[in-house]
Amino acid sequence: MIAEIGLFALILALFVAGVQACVPLLGAAQGDAAWMKVDRPAAVTQFGLVAIAFGALIWLHITSDFSVLNVVQNGHTDKPLLYKITGVWGSHEGSMLLWTFILVLYGLAVSIFGRDLPPALRARALAVQGMIGVGFLLYILLTSNPFLRVDPPPLNGNGLNPLLQDPGLALHPPFLYLGYVGFSMAFSFAIAALIEGRVDAAWARWVRPWTLLAWCALTLGVGLGAWWSYYTLGWGGYWAWDPVENASLMPWLAGTALLHSSIVAEKRDTMKSWTIFLAIITFSLSLLGTFLVRSGILTSVHSFATDPARGMFILTLLAAVTGGSLALYAIRAPALKGTGLFTAVSREGSLLFNNVVLSTAAGTVLLGTLYPIFMDALGLGKVSVGPPYFNLVLTPLMAPLVMLMAVGPLLSWKRGDLKSALARLKFAGIATFITIVLTWLVAGVSTRSLLASLGLGLGAWLLAGTLAEWGGRVKLFRAPFAESLRRAFHLPRSAYGLTLGHVGMALVLIGIAGSQAWQSEYLKVMHPGDVASLAGYQIKFEGLDAVRGPNYVATRADFVATENGHFVATMQPERRIYTAPPRPLSTVAIHTNFISDLYTVLGDPDNKGGFIVHIFHNPLVPWLFVGVLLMALGGVVALTDRHHRVGAPVRRTVPRIPRPALRLVAAGVVVTEEPKPSHGWSTMVPLIAFAVLAGFFIWRLHLASKGDTPNLIPSVMINRPAPQFDLPALTAGQPDFKTADLKGQVTLVNFFASWCQPCRAEHPLLSEVRAAGIRLIGIDYKDKPADARGWLADLGDPYRAVVTDEQGRTGINFGVYGVPESYLIDKNGVIRFKQTGPLTEKIIREQIVPLVEKLNR
Amino acid sequence: MTRRSRTAALLTALSVFAAVMVVSGPALAIRPDEMLANPKLEARARQIDKELRCLVCQNESIDDSDADLAHDLRLLVRRRLLAGDTDAQVKQYVVARYGDYVLLKPPFDPETWLLWLGPLALFGAAAAAATVYFRRNHAASQVAPLSAEEHARLAELLGISQPGKGDRE
Repeated sequence: MIAEIGLFALILALFVAGVQACVPLLGAAQGDAAWMKVDRPAAVTQFGLVAIAFGALIWLHITSDFSVLNVVQNGHTDKPLLYKITGVWGSHEGSMLLWTFILVLYGLAVSIFGRDLPPALRARALAVQGMIGVGFLLYILLTSNPFLRVDPPPLNGNGLNPLLQDPGLALHPPFLYLGYVGFSMAFSFAIAALIEGRVDAAWARWVRPWTLLAWCALTLGVGLGAWWSYYTLGWGGYWAWDPVENASLMPWLAGTALLHSSIVAEKRDTMKSWTIFLAIITFSLSLLGTFLVRSGILTSVHSFATDPARGMFILTLLAAVTGGSLALYAIRAPALKGTGLFTAVSREGSLLFNNVVLSTAAGTVLLGTLYPIFMDALGLGKVSVGPPYFNLVLTPLMAPLVMLMAVGPLLSWKRGDLKSALARLKFAGIATFITIVLTWLVAGVSTRSLLASLGLGLGAWLLAGTLAEWGGRVKLFRAPFAESLRRAFHLPRSAYGLTLGHVGMALVLIGIAGSQAWQSEYLKVMHPGDVASLAGYQIKFEGLDAVRGPNYVATRADFVATENGHFVATMQPERRIYTAPPRPLSTVAIHTNFISDLYTVLGDPDNKGGFIVHIFHNPLVPWLFVGVLLMALGGVVALTDRHHRVGAPVRRTVPRIPRPALRLVAAGVVVTEEPKPSHGWSTMVPLIAFAVLAGFFIWRLHLASKGDTPNLIPSVMINRPAPQFDLPALTAGQPDFKTADLKGQVTLVNFFASWCQPCRAEHPLLSEVRAAGIRLIGIDYKDKPADARGWLADLGDPYRAVVTDEQGRTGINFGVYGVPESYLIDKNGVIRFKQTGPLTEKIIREQIVPLVEKLNR
Repeated sequence: MTRRSRTAALLTALSVFAAVMVVSGPALAIRPDEMLANPKLEARARQIDKELRCLVCQNESIDDSDADLAHDLRLLVRRRLLAGDTDAQVKQYVVARYGDYVLLKPPFDPETWLLWLGPLALFGAAAAAATVYFRRNHAASQVAPLSAEEHARLAELLGISQPGKGDRE
């Protein structure tokens, strides 16, 4: 019953969203106040209905109602209550419902806080929110219904992956979505402004705090993801440049640009069309992230169940949202002209540069993430774009931005004085120089550590520069201390937002540079009583304990770290075996002194009483996470500024023209003319670029739906001589086989193994190959010969000869990466065809047999 | 459970759940018995490991992956180093068998020109857009100086007897 109520509420919400999308918009177009007024009640109702559905799903999970498929797939009675609740967004369906819930939550916020907004602006913005709501509710109802029943219900559920039963990850999706969806506010208001053809200070004042809120949430969301990866995955790192991580970084970069340009739009009445453009792009990138994770287009270790139908739906949604808004932008943006004048060296100028760099960075991450798919789909081969690429490309891009970050806040609006700004950064410059030289000398003179030192120097520059800016504001050391203190108290909170945000960024930078360059590790088999020494610490493996948790049993190791004989910390990493679902998981033990972390992982036992132990010393990583927190805190502090408070900006009725000028206007001397729309071609560029991208995705999804999966790697071995090998027979007394034996006859070389399930499926087809008169040679790959002999005795031996490659070296020389693989080799020993994965009847009949006939001719 | 079916089962589980990294908890990829005795050589090997993709586990380097193939490739890297190969030669050895796909930093060739030059082009485009924007904004807000008649009328309105000179800023 609860599930049906939830489903019914979702269906009703869809209709309400439909009303919200149309009626206020028409009302605004007709100037009909009654129609416009539908916006707020509609938003409130839609919120109520989606909240009922979301609440229903949470209830189903809490009560472990296994008649509902979603609960069966993710729930388990043994799960602690917290993870029963957070398990709701552990699944694809539940996370989409969370997404929609947050969307309507923002809609509710508009109707509560936006009472005094200009009615037409609010009506249009809420209508746009309604449209997004229609899209996502339709998506849930048509492709991802979380309320599907199962009959008969099973006794218990499959349970949640233990890796996800973690407080960090429980909070990660809600924050991430608060960020993603929060940018829909800026987006909806941008669209409303484009429809209206007017962007004024009231608009910018409204949009700015919401952008700030979304940005804070996204910063925390991304940070939580990195933190989770750091303290649970045991690899000593925090960011892997995985496509799914990139999907959250792109909106963050664009959102940071938006945050800064909205300052200019509000304060200086300029960069307005730029701000609108960034609002569209930021939300589009959020949607793109959602799409990429769920479409199956990308292969990522993080992705959800992938399904081309779902991908197609989100793509359609993305096309409507982004394509529609970029088209609107192309038409309307040229008319949006600001009035604020500024020179290149000014606060505005530096913020413009910030926007250029951050947009480029977002674009670069997008390029690197999508490039492999492009190449593959265009048949240009396969490439991998991994961490080395991103590090290499983004570092030179971001470095100048960080340098400017210290200078920008010291420049005044309109026209800045670079010389005096730099003069105020004298001490920052000295601090930077000392940091670079000192760290380089201390860490050992090498290129690698020079790069780290430069990174730390940049961090020091930003840190010192930001503090110098604050010091200047409170007249530190230039006024009596009491005066400085008084000033510090009266400084606007938004100024502290800047200081905290930039200091946070400096710490993040220092953390990245330090951990990249100076991470050190210890990796050995240790027995109780052994002592590891790492980075000046002695870490003794004291012993092992068996412990029991609510839904796991564990082996816990005791490590005691000392430094020069002084006790530092006890660390207790565990190897847990979860009962539901049964899965092993190692937990990491971290000791931090807020400058560096000792990071201990207990690995596999060697079955001789020892355990593989991996200990990392991670310098400055704590600074990174503290930096992320400070950045988010800066945002929150700025948000509490009276000036920014989410409230009710009232549109000025009198245009802001200085008084004498007003008289001139009145006298008809000066004509305040609407700026002429300039030629609009440049605003068309993003639309065209997007159209190309969308067309490409449609094509790719079309291929995916035909079963052309993106996972197969083409072999570079085709048309090359087979590698040298000389392998012994599987069964003693049988003939060996070597490369020279390939000559003179067309041969199919089949790599198989007794442990390989697909090989079993393929096996019956091999006799068909043999029946076609093709010489069939089997290579038993990374297998115990006895197992393979038993396997062949059971299933039959179709091979002319079977040899064994126990170490897998010949396999590597052939480019084998997963058995079964088959290579067709011609009479001269040249590889002509490769099948990765099991052979099928179709492949044998349509590809192999004709090719063999050709090669025999 | 066999290696394959274990992998298959884990992959199925993975596809169901959100945001899961590496297969079963902490990636204890490299094992002590794989490591070279010579720390310098081992350090080089680790660096190479980080730049080679594990082919069976998407988007992980062989340094991060505990897959069997990654283990074999790590051993291969160390064998080649012991045989006296340079870092580039080791990578080339693997590329000759598995293609450019194994390189996490793709080579600069016609197929990846766009990838490598793209960021530069993006920067150029964004900078150009900003410049155009800046110029236009600048031009739009430049107001033509007042004509002599306008000066006269202005003086009259403001009640100034001497026509002011200069223009509005």
